[in-house]
Amino acid sequence: MASSETGAPNGQRAESASASASASAGASALTVGQRVDRASDNAQEAWSRTRDTVNDLKDRLDIEGRVERNPYGMVAAALGVGYVLGGGLFSPLTGRLVGFGVRMGLKLAAIPFLENELRGLTESMINGESDDSSSESQGGERKSHRKSTNKGR
Amino acid sequence: MEMTEQFEKTARDIEERIRPQIDEAKKKVLDMNEQVIGYIKQNPGKCLLGAVAAGYIIGRIARR
Repeated sequence: MASSETGAPNGQRAESASASASASAGASALTVGQRVDRASDNAQEAWSRTRDTVNDLKDRLDIEGRVERNPYGMVAAALGVGYVLGGGLFSPLTGRLVGFGVRMGLKLAAIPFLENELRGLTESMINGESDDSSSESQGGERKSHRKSTNKGR
Repeated sequence: MEMTEQFEKTARDIEERIRPQIDEAKKKVLDMNEQVIGYIKQNPGKCLLGAVAAGYIIGRIARR
């Protein structure tokens, strides 16, 4: 008989089998529990890290402070961000707006420049006329002086 | 001469009549501006998200 060959009775073998089964079941239950604990720990760690990162980002960006200092500017910036996100960057409307802005900027930049140029031009013209008149008068004097000297001779 | 004086008088009358309305309108605009700034400062997240959403919609419309 096999049982007599191994030297263990049937009852003992059954007990050992049940013990090993319960031990393996306990081990598997323990590992599941450990896994759950580890997963919850990891989740808590990830959550705290995310919270810290978000808080750090908030502190660095200082959105509330910026809004406090410049409310309209921040709203305009947010509007611009939304416009870009909506895909309006490369659109005809953007082209028209940019063109209008460039034209206005050039006009505003060109007006003082043109004003200065015109002022310089008019000043130079006035000075030139006065120089011409003075040179003409000097020339006339020279001519009359020559005439008088010729007459004297 | 008389015509000029009459013209000046008419202009002055019109100015006197319009001046309070202009002042009132100016005051209303300033009050509204203060209210808007106060609202933005009280609700920065809401205002910024709303502005982003509005910009997104405008961008989507402009892209078409």
